[in-house]
Amino acid sequence: MTLLVLILLLCAALVIYPVVFIVAESINVGEPGVFPPPEISFHNFAAMSEDLDVIGNTLMVAFGATVMAVVIGFVLAWILTRTNIPGRARLERLMELPYYMTPLVGAMAWGILAAPKTGLLNQAWHVMGGRSDLFDIYSPFGIAWVMALFEGTVAFVMISAAMKSMDPSLEESSRVLGAGKMRTALRITLPLVAPGVLSATVFVFAEMLGAFAAAFVLGIPGRFYVVTTAIWEATQSFPPQYGRAAALGLSLFGAMVVTLTIAKLIMRRGSHATITGKGFRPRPVDAGSAKWLLLAIAWSYIVLAVILPLAALLLTSFQRFATVILSDSVFTIANYQTALSTGTLGQAFINSLILGLSVATIGVLIMGILTWIIYRSKIPGRTVIEYVVMFPQAVPRLIFGLGLLWAWINIPIPIYGTLWLLGIAYFTVFLPLGVRTLAGVVMQVDRSLEECARVCGASWSHQMRTVSLPLLRPGIAAAWLLIFIASIRELGASIFLMGPQSKVISPAIINAWLSSSSELSAAMAMILTATVFVAVIILFAVARKLTGNPA
Amino acid sequence: MTSEPRIAVSGLTVRYNDVVAVDNIDFTIQPGELVTLLGPSGCGKTTTLRAIAGLEDPSAGSIRLGTEIVYSSAQRRNIPSEKRGLSMVFQSYAIWPHMTVSENVAYGLNVRKLPRAEVDQNVRRVLDLVQMTAYADRPASKLSGGQQQRIAVARAIAFSPTVLLFDEPLSNLDAKLRTEMRVELRELQRRLDITSVYVTHDQEEALAISDRVIVMNHGRIEQIGSPETIYNRPQSMFVADFVGAANLIKGRVIATHDGMTDFETVGGLTLHAAGLANGDETILALRSAYITLQRQADADANVASGTIHRRMFHGDFIQYVVDWPAGQLIVRRPPTEMIEEGANVTIAFAPDHCILLAER
Repeated sequence: MTLLVLILLLCAALVIYPVVFIVAESINVGEPGVFPPPEISFHNFAAMSEDLDVIGNTLMVAFGATVMAVVIGFVLAWILTRTNIPGRARLERLMELPYYMTPLVGAMAWGILAAPKTGLLNQAWHVMGGRSDLFDIYSPFGIAWVMALFEGTVAFVMISAAMKSMDPSLEESSRVLGAGKMRTALRITLPLVAPGVLSATVFVFAEMLGAFAAAFVLGIPGRFYVVTTAIWEATQSFPPQYGRAAALGLSLFGAMVVTLTIAKLIMRRGSHATITGKGFRPRPVDAGSAKWLLLAIAWSYIVLAVILPLAALLLTSFQRFATVILSDSVFTIANYQTALSTGTLGQAFINSLILGLSVATIGVLIMGILTWIIYRSKIPGRTVIEYVVMFPQAVPRLIFGLGLLWAWINIPIPIYGTLWLLGIAYFTVFLPLGVRTLAGVVMQVDRSLEECARVCGASWSHQMRTVSLPLLRPGIAAAWLLIFIASIRELGASIFLMGPQSKVISPAIINAWLSSSSELSAAMAMILTATVFVAVIILFAVARKLTGNPA
Repeated sequence: MTSEPRIAVSGLTVRYNDVVAVDNIDFTIQPGELVTLLGPSGCGKTTTLRAIAGLEDPSAGSIRLGTEIVYSSAQRRNIPSEKRGLSMVFQSYAIWPHMTVSENVAYGLNVRKLPRAEVDQNVRRVLDLVQMTAYADRPASKLSGGQQQRIAVARAIAFSPTVLLFDEPLSNLDAKLRTEMRVELRELQRRLDITSVYVTHDQEEALAISDRVIVMNHGRIEQIGSPETIYNRPQSMFVADFVGAANLIKGRVIATHDGMTDFETVGGLTLHAAGLANGDETILALRSAYITLQRQADADANVASGTIHRRMFHGDFIQYVVDWPAGQLIVRRPPTEMIEEGANVTIAFAPDHCILLAER
């Protein structure tokens, strides 16, 4: 019991402590990074008027990316849930891949594909006789494009969920009452899925406001800043503008909370008829001969978001100099040798693996206990615990990392610059992910399965060993893998918290991208992607086992 | 019923925050009896059952199993589920999908650390009882609803518990299977002579299966009695309405004489009811099965004329809606008594079947 209380207090402290520091730093106009602030004023917030261009950039990019992501998401969701194109189930699986590729890898791949002059697509265009560049990825439009492809997958997920949860009899009754296909689509289908689409739009917009990787990889070279990259830049300048970073960060946090709340309100108000909790398999529309066009649209997304970027990375990673003209190219495995052997780079990869393995293992254990407390016990105050545990999901990763940085600099435990700090940070920011995944699994196991064991005479521990844990095992494995994947690819918090002795893979790739060749970065990105994909394949296998087992 | 009760519940109250799910109820159950807790959803019947099982923390009262007090708010005593020695069949069956059929059934025996041979023997015995021997080595997740139900029962009786609890065990089965399983469960309970508490919202099931029925509503007990008593002599409007099909005729008591009560209905009809009234009764409850439409009435019967308004053929019976001076009357007759709509009929029913009730 005391152990439980200890774990709870520890988690609460881990979550709340860094936030205190962000707030303190935002009103600190004395020496940066000192706690408590020597001098207090709201000057940092007033000074945001000098960052109006940054705010404008952010809104422009986020808006563009949201529009593209929602259009892509809507079209794909409609094609995959409502039409009878061949291979729907497989395509739906493939749609998850861009998410697992990460925006960082996606941005670098598109950098290689569409950089002015040197980009592979532009090179090919020139060879074919094109005069100017086909596409410049180092532009606000390019950044928005990459964000839409790799951060916008959630739009597809949310919109197809809205379309799937619609009772097909609502449309069928319209048809029976004499309305045609078109009229039914406009008067029935559209109004019913509209709340889902709208809330997905607002949700994606909030995500885009806090997006970092694409704006970093593609914006920094051209000195095009959005709020997140401006925050990073503020901390890197000398003297560090911590106050500016904190004020920007808090404002971003505020803007995201407001938009996310709006998204939730739309969802709640609009969920009147569509969500009945039943699983429906909507009757697909027969697309006729347009079937092949729709199939081509779906596949072209996979090509743009998965195949083309991966092909570009793969090709480049084996070349001395990136080129599409194969007769000119010099193939080499030197990039991989460098990536794996260069002291710090190889070490970064090993560090990431160590962190992934340990955070996933220890995390699943503690998060499992938390999940059990929140969703199965009758301990008073468990809803408060749920709020605390879910809080990190509302804070942009980057800003959480910033808070953690200041929090741990000001604590007399010498873990700053070590893997320990990164481990603690990962655990904290992945609390919502882990607890939500485990909660889903716990909910799936009907309470009476456990109660029955008790009535049969089993003690609590015997019941846990013989009934609960065996039933939860696949779910626990899935949660472990998700946390592992998230750790391996973590960027936002790591970029502030890693030290010279504790490099990790994602920030190391960014550094390589900014300071050395794209060929080396491509090799590193391939290694990261391969690691994540192996974990994803295992995850899918586990998930299949989980769903195949009617618990 | 003079022997020591097998289960004694007294003053039991279960509260969730501000909601009182079970409100100060008392009842006892004799050894070998099958007693049903009957009521609409949310009446507290399942909560009561779970409190007996030790799966719910009551707020007040006491529960005794034989001579052992398993829960007592006064003594601050709440013996955990696994130490109560009873068994339960869950509404969802709660068949563990990661085990085979015989592993499921053997669970309670293995928990009690019985020797291997004895476990096997008991598993075979109960699987035989529920006619599932052929499925012993199947994975439990590959069973149909009816089969899962049988395994749940086998598992519950395998370790010879002293008390067996049923939480709506048949509610997930289709109608035909439900009536079949009803017979089988009753057979099994009689054969094993095992004290049972059975929760259901299906009044027909409760009447068919029970030695006694406890009708619950809003966390309170409305009436306890044999199925015949509950059906023939309901003590409240709720019981009359919830159990069986009844006409609830409004009116007032006008006189009592010779062990009979005169009741004037709305519409000015005077009916005779057996027994003496208190005077505050405003409802006369009359089972629709106890009304005749064409037969020669007994001398003391209530008689009135009416017209068939609507006829509905149900197969096992015909339901008539009859217009009569007191409004409309629902009458159920065997399918052999076919009367055309619009026909004039003579309504007759015995004073014995007229139950006077106070409106609450």
